[in-house]
Amino acid sequence: MKCESCKQKEATFFYEENVNGQARSLHLCADCAAKLQADGKLFSEHAEGFPFPSFTQLHNNFLDGLFGIAASPVTKESKNTCPGCGATWGDLMKDGKAFCPQCYTTFGEELEPTLRSLHGHVTHTGRAPAGRRAQREKRDRLASLKTQLANAIKEEKFEDAAKLRDEIRTLEKE
Amino acid sequence: MAWYQVKGNDSDTVFSSRIRFARNLTGYRFDKGLSAKDAEEIIGRIGNALGEEYIKTDVAALSALKAQSLVEQHLISREFAGKKGPHALFRNDNKSLSVMALEEDHIRLQCILPGLALRDAYRFACECDDKLDASLPLAYDEKLGYLTHCPTNLGTGMRASVMLFLPALKGAGMIPSLSHQLSKIGLTMRGLYGEGSEPQGCLYQVSNQVTLGSSEEEILHKLEEAVQSIIQKERSLRREVTGEAAERQADRIHRAEGILRYATMLSSEEFFSLYTDLKLGIALGLIDSISDETLNTLLINVLPATLTLNADSAPKNGAERDRQRAAFIKKALGVSQ
Repeated sequence: MKCESCKQKEATFFYEENVNGQARSLHLCADCAAKLQADGKLFSEHAEGFPFPSFTQLHNNFLDGLFGIAASPVTKESKNTCPGCGATWGDLMKDGKAFCPQCYTTFGEELEPTLRSLHGHVTHTGRAPAGRRAQREKRDRLASLKTQLANAIKEEKFEDAAKLRDEIRTLEKE
Repeated sequence: MAWYQVKGNDSDTVFSSRIRFARNLTGYRFDKGLSAKDAEEIIGRIGNALGEEYIKTDVAALSALKAQSLVEQHLISREFAGKKGPHALFRNDNKSLSVMALEEDHIRLQCILPGLALRDAYRFACECDDKLDASLPLAYDEKLGYLTHCPTNLGTGMRASVMLFLPALKGAGMIPSLSHQLSKIGLTMRGLYGEGSEPQGCLYQVSNQVTLGSSEEEILHKLEEAVQSIIQKERSLRREVTGEAAERQADRIHRAEGILRYATMLSSEEFFSLYTDLKLGIALGLIDSISDETLNTLLINVLPATLTLNADSAPKNGAERDRQRAAFIKKALGVSQ
């Protein structure tokens, strides 16, 4: 998602405020987040008298938005270190981005809430590199057969269900 | 001949269609923290995979002016133009297929075509993607799809976009509500030129927001449906202009042609305003002395950096640039100086 201020860079900060029931949110890039905060423009004009949120608070809001972690100074820690680049979960949270492809394998579980909030899904469907297409097609075919099997059982079409079950078993053995 | 010099489908409402894939190589860090040696190695591997038909430009070695001109030609991003460290552009002859090596991702592959041509752009982008895939280990995960530097691009790594020309919708004040409706179905809309809420040239880019969980086919289908509905609305609003309003509109369009042909100084802002009137005039059949593709080519060639590169000398000030712009247009339209 692009920054809502400059509309050029990728938004890596999520700012959210709720003053007297009036909610306001902004997706910003790091530069605009820093600039708008320095200019005092991040906060509602109705926010007078409220403590001025610090950059850390903004940062925690960003974590809340991008990585789906509670906006508390103490976040859920992962002890893992990425074998590909040596990055820690803290490094990823600080930067808002992965450092190497292996980061996604290492921190897959921690990332899932983030991906759900960003995309609404956590599983890819679609293109794959040539070497992986057969595997993908098998996975998609199995998923489709299992849905058909569930429907056949629901509709009490037991002959169809038996055929589908056999097909699933054969495919799983391949 | 560059892609923008060719007439596209539905050119009355669509400037161009674009598909972009984000890809990375396994065994390397993403852009941040990548050593210069690894960066050069990646550029070399991408170049070898693409083959000799792609023209390489070492963007890091370009002057700021030349790099900016590539931005104006839609070949590279602003971030890429201003980036430090090794980075290169590979492009085909007509500039419709290009690969930014070491933008945010190792590979940013793009296919851009004139008019409404999303399926063709997707097909060509896939062919180029297959070429890269044949000799490079692309980072891919069975569950998350193509692995990208930023989690916002995971999955397909695809941004499909259509650049639309929407003067009637803009005139009717319908752009904000349209933009809001699009956001509800996972599409985003932004001005192609100019900052803030007043995009220049009435050109708007509509693209998919989400890349994970929907297949390329689903993304394309959704975008196509939305674009078709926008095009129909734009055309229907244009047809509603009748009587005196149509006469005034025609008068404005013909005046715009006169100014474009005979002005001796033209600012970028004024050009965009004339572009809007003339493109609408061509769509309505009121202008036949200038083709749509000529106008689109002018749009790219009179932007500041490309204009300076096409001129004999760099302008000393804004006034001289405005003179150069007017002179360039006269020459392109065959008007004697």
